[in-house]
Amino acid sequence: MKKPLWKTGLLGLFAWGLFGSGTLFAQSDPTGQKPITQTYAFTNATVHASPGSEGQKATIVVKDGVIISVGSGVTIPAAAKVIAGDSLYIYPGFIDAASQAGITKPEDPERPSDFVSSNPPDEIAGITPWRSATDQFDISSSQVDDLRKAGFTMAHVLPDGGMIAGKGAIMVLGTKGSTNLIKANTALAASLNGSRGMYPGTTVGVMAKFRDVYKNTNLTQDRIATFTSNSGVTRPEINQTYSAMTEVVNGQIPVFFEVENDLEVRRAISLQKELGFKLVVYGLEQYDEVIDLLKSSGVGVILKLETPDDKAIKSQKDDVDEAVQAQYDRVKESYDRTIAQAGKLAEAGVAFAFSTIDAKPSDAMKSLRAMIEAGLTESAAMAALTTNAASMIGMNRIAGTVEQGKIANLVITTGPIFSEDSQIKHVVADGSIFDYEIKTKKKNGNGEATVEVAGTWDYTSETPAGSSGGKLTIEKDGDDYSGTITYDDPSGNGTATSPISDVSISGSQLSFSFEVSAGGMAISVSVSGEISGNSMDGSMNIAQFGSFPISATRNPNFISNN
Amino acid sequence: MKRINKTFLTFLIALLPMMAMAQIDGEFIKPRTGKFLLQNATVHTITKGVLSGASVLIENGKILQVGSNVSADGAEVIDCSGMVIYPGMIDSGTTLGLAEVSSVAETVDYQEIGNVTPNMQALTAVNPNSEAIPVTRVSGVTTVIAKPSGGLFPGTAALINLVGYTPDQMYAGFKAVAMNFPSSARRGRFDRRSDADIKKDNEKALKDANELMEKAKQYHELSSKGAELEYYPEIAQLAKVISKELPLMIEVNAASDIQNAIKWVKDMDIRVIFSGVKEGWRVADEIAEAGIPVITGPVQDLPSRQSDRYDAAYTNAGKLAKAGVKVALRTNETENVRNLPFHAAFAAAYGMGKEEAWKAVTINPAEIFGLGDQLGSIEAGKVANLIVATEDPFETRSQIMHVFINGYRIPLSNRHIRLYQEFLERSPDLNAN
Amino acid sequence: MKKINILLALCLSLCLSFSWAQTPKGSVLIKNGTVLTVTNGTYENTDVLIQDGVIKKIGKDLNAPSGVTTVDATGKYVMPGIIDAHSHVALDVVNEATAPIVAEVRMKDVVNPYEIGIYRALAGGVTISHAMHGSANVVGGQNATLKHRWGSSNPEDIIMQDAPRTIKFALGENPTRVHGRGNGIQPRSRMGVEAILRNGFNEALQYKKAWEDFNKAKSQKGSTAVAPEYNERLQTLVDILDGKIIIHCHSYRADEIYMLINVARDFGIDKLVFQHTNEGFKVAPEIAEYTMGASVFADWWAYKFEVYYSTAFNAAILHRNGAITSINSDSAELIRHLYHEAAKTQRYGNLSDDEALSMITINPARQLGIDDKVGSLEEGKHGDVAIFEGHPLSSYAIPQMTFVDGIKYFDINEDQDDQRQQVSPTETVEPILLTEHNHRCMQDTEHLFETASALFQMNQ
Repeated sequence: MKKPLWKTGLLGLFAWGLFGSGTLFAQSDPTGQKPITQTYAFTNATVHASPGSEGQKATIVVKDGVIISVGSGVTIPAAAKVIAGDSLYIYPGFIDAASQAGITKPEDPERPSDFVSSNPPDEIAGITPWRSATDQFDISSSQVDDLRKAGFTMAHVLPDGGMIAGKGAIMVLGTKGSTNLIKANTALAASLNGSRGMYPGTTVGVMAKFRDVYKNTNLTQDRIATFTSNSGVTRPEINQTYSAMTEVVNGQIPVFFEVENDLEVRRAISLQKELGFKLVVYGLEQYDEVIDLLKSSGVGVILKLETPDDKAIKSQKDDVDEAVQAQYDRVKESYDRTIAQAGKLAEAGVAFAFSTIDAKPSDAMKSLRAMIEAGLTESAAMAALTTNAASMIGMNRIAGTVEQGKIANLVITTGPIFSEDSQIKHVVADGSIFDYEIKTKKKNGNGEATVEVAGTWDYTSETPAGSSGGKLTIEKDGDDYSGTITYDDPSGNGTATSPISDVSISGSQLSFSFEVSAGGMAISVSVSGEISGNSMDGSMNIAQFGSFPISATRNPNFISNN
Repeated sequence: MKRINKTFLTFLIALLPMMAMAQIDGEFIKPRTGKFLLQNATVHTITKGVLSGASVLIENGKILQVGSNVSADGAEVIDCSGMVIYPGMIDSGTTLGLAEVSSVAETVDYQEIGNVTPNMQALTAVNPNSEAIPVTRVSGVTTVIAKPSGGLFPGTAALINLVGYTPDQMYAGFKAVAMNFPSSARRGRFDRRSDADIKKDNEKALKDANELMEKAKQYHELSSKGAELEYYPEIAQLAKVISKELPLMIEVNAASDIQNAIKWVKDMDIRVIFSGVKEGWRVADEIAEAGIPVITGPVQDLPSRQSDRYDAAYTNAGKLAKAGVKVALRTNETENVRNLPFHAAFAAAYGMGKEEAWKAVTINPAEIFGLGDQLGSIEAGKVANLIVATEDPFETRSQIMHVFINGYRIPLSNRHIRLYQEFLERSPDLNAN
Repeated sequence: MKKINILLALCLSLCLSFSWAQTPKGSVLIKNGTVLTVTNGTYENTDVLIQDGVIKKIGKDLNAPSGVTTVDATGKYVMPGIIDAHSHVALDVVNEATAPIVAEVRMKDVVNPYEIGIYRALAGGVTISHAMHGSANVVGGQNATLKHRWGSSNPEDIIMQDAPRTIKFALGENPTRVHGRGNGIQPRSRMGVEAILRNGFNEALQYKKAWEDFNKAKSQKGSTAVAPEYNERLQTLVDILDGKIIIHCHSYRADEIYMLINVARDFGIDKLVFQHTNEGFKVAPEIAEYTMGASVFADWWAYKFEVYYSTAFNAAILHRNGAITSINSDSAELIRHLYHEAAKTQRYGNLSDDEALSMITINPARQLGIDDKVGSLEEGKHGDVAIFEGHPLSSYAIPQMTFVDGIKYFDINEDQDDQRQQVSPTETVEPILLTEHNHRCMQDTEHLFETASALFQMNQ
């Protein structure tokens, strides 16, 4: 479910625009950030060129955004920066088939003075097929950084909005100096979400309105055809909704319908059957019951790249009575069934892709591993991340595999990509290389002392809109840690406090998470940082909004104060 | 063929003696007191078995005599041959008389502003002329608890008989301070608080309750030492719970809340009644062990959890009774308190049995309210609250023929019946202009 | 011309039976029960044979054809599956409250076959419910008639595909509150409600004519006629005027009921059923003469001002005046004991057993236009059956088994307690709802009111 998070106080802090000071790549670069070459060679790496293919030792040369050679005896151009790939694994860059990374919802237009909620203007009612994701996308968003960090090099971005939000666009997740646009006007983004307080307000209204818009687009086309080839015909009324819907009605672009569960899948398919447009459903979370339908209807399928939290399963206690055990079993069964769906869908022969909308890119690998453990093959998972997604958005000519001539989009890891220890070391997107720090995982409990984290910390976090901060209190509780964190109350009234959970320490790394309730919904925030003495530096990840730096210092008075 | 049905005829016949006078515009049939002999019925005394061919003699609001050889001795004789007599039913939790039209705020008087308002008296706000009262009593419900709702201590509930022109005439001798035990359940679909928030709210409410009870205790201790304390009506009323003058009627429903409530009252030396107790069946043994009487209902209700068996609410009262809990029933209704016998029937069918179900609407509440010697059964010396019916009054096809409350013979009419009388055969009918 | 019509009709009926043929069917022999046919009397020690979803035979000493299971109903009562003419169970959305007329919305779009309420209704012997749009609009959406085929994940499976189209109308307090007082547009009064209806139907007539003119012109050679705007809202009103849709109108007061009767007569509409109809008793002769009757509560009153002058004898008065009368639930709770609600007509009006039972079986079937298929135990009708311990009109009756199309979907002795079809994979504590809001006529209108408690006051 998408919610207007930008309206909630907490997220209102993160206004756009502060990032946007354009970094121009002119000939000279006083910032010193410009790379000296656009040619790279990754030598002697284990290359998995396409889903399911065996890894082969090869060297890859990329130049000006294109893979110019892949193989064992390739010539390395003199201008190439060579990166020794001997211990590295290289995969095609991932493609997010339905994304909202870097997308900001445009301001709602002002209501006209004669506004009537039973018959609002299309633009206010969430019917804006003429809008384009290109106008809403910002490459410098931290969401894009997070997505790229998770291995994604290309994203099919969809505009944010109401029942008919607008047209999608394909972006490569390259550097800030470019528009990064590969193709605009790719698909129509639609959902079953109604507009608050006006027509259509609910799913039933949305479905009726969708039929209405679709059929009248058809009729408008007929009228225009008659008008343009005859005289004596009344001028047809041309409005931007029907104009922008024309490509959909003519089958030139598909409708990307946001659906969450099997019932919504059926609703989107029933509209498609009735009206006849090309359909891709995206954002699926529960679809076990419609695997056959997804197969037989031939619609495009994009799963939400997220598996359910296993906290509930893990918190199930051992010695409980029969009734509670029965409840537990049903939750466990549901959990197992949920994570097994992707495997079943692949087995049924549906070539699905993934979407990161409303999912945390940093958890993508964890989710994929859960799906793989529950039966999804690694090659099917890889196909979903690369080739399937490329075909679904019409990009298989240039993306999805590591081949000569394809766009230089690569994911370079320290191990086989889905293995537990593997980490992403580089991401090549649009021929630019992005480096990531490799964390050396220190084993816990091997006699190696971990850092002491207990205490009261004052923290500040930097957001685009300025800094904010509060107190973080961590207490040792047997072998575990617990505590609280304070922050500016999103509702605008002073300070709020939440308990922290999932506190874990690995070496000098501390991580924990907490929930902020804003506008009646819970937003989860996870924090991880490196502790050295009484200070910590790290990042704070706010679900779906990206990562922001956080730093903290320990208050030395903690113990004496208690 | 339009045929006038039997009930209507029965009413007509019953009304005949007064019909002559009723021709006078504005004439009204009123409750009458006097000496009545209800002759030759099957009398279900509840406490002393079932007496067939028995009669009940009523005078001055009391039952004088019950048995097979009762002489009329100047009493107005009512032939009850072929009929059954039961005690009037008691609904142990309603808002009858406290709200007339529940969507019209101006007519709703069961809820005050403030979280701690135990001093609010339901008895004051009961409207003796509520249209719902005559509608209710012709079903055989003669006595109800009128209860305020709202915050932590919403007010003081009162037991009333459904006859009288003033609250004092209606008052049936029992009051209790109502409490809504802090709940871990959701208030409904609209309640979107997180689990953590619910827990937080719950803990805070319990802390508040503890502090208030502590204050009440201090108030009681100081005032019983003769201290002249500042005017503090809320705590003064709560202190009556500490002094055991009034019991605490604790609304509690979710299983874990019930367990917490049992713990909460354990060390308090007060009189306690639980009400609601919707998930009582999950912890019935614990309630029984704590010896706390329970007012539960409505019986015709949905289960509290999606996973519960469909009949969880139907079977709750029976399961509690089987575990040894003293159970009284309630409808929690305003205008449809008349359905109490049907709620009781469902409880009976789903495990409680008819006998226990009857007790749950008669002698059990009477005893729970400390009125076991006055109400809840047909015994000489008790208040004359009783009903005469064609058959088991829990059955819908049964017709209630006579109702006595406080010894008053209640006219079997109300707006519903009058509308029936007027409109069964309308005049002018369809074809007139 | 006529031939084509017959062919068309044949084709249509084939299509319809085809859609019914797709849902699962069962066979069962119910032995030796007291069979309450409702329409043809009561038979003791009688058997009911259902084969492939259809009642094949009702009689004594029937033998089970091979492969057909037998259910012993000795000492039990066998009655037609109960039909609820007013429910909101199994709907994800109830109100598209945003405009005074929303005839274009279809509840079939938002049927949710997972809702536990379906099973709970089956446990009360209810096999069919009329899943209605809410009462926020003068003309609400098109309803769905559901068959309670519990356990299917496909909404299509629980929609009774061969039931006629019906639509929700609503008069009085709800639409005037939502639109007039909530949004500052008409209607704010019962005058406005009538005006909305007359405006809507007159616009529909114009719309119909515009399309007829266009189609006529289009068929001329070399035509340059352009199509009018498509409007499913008006098209649906046209369908009502053409007698293709049965109106089910939420109404309380006698004056507003009478108003709609007049509007319907003026526009030549005769497929009209009143819902709730608390003051229907005052205009019972008119309802009997001009409409398909009223579907009422057994005893609800006084929860809002427009039901203050009600009587529990309403059903009896309507019935005695010759109006088709049914008793409905409008509630996920009440739907579980409609047999008991119907029995209240014996307390309030002394109806006979068959008269009382007809109010939850054949009468609602007539009002939904499905009485040729369900609503009584007759050979050739669907095998929708409820078996009771105790007479269903007794307050102590307990439903034992419920069959839809010959398939058993409820069995008091064999069913698991936990009937949830969906469980959250991340659930730690199951939510406890103590005051589940049973009555959802005004669900999804929350945004129109400032507080949830204000909404609380406006059920039904």
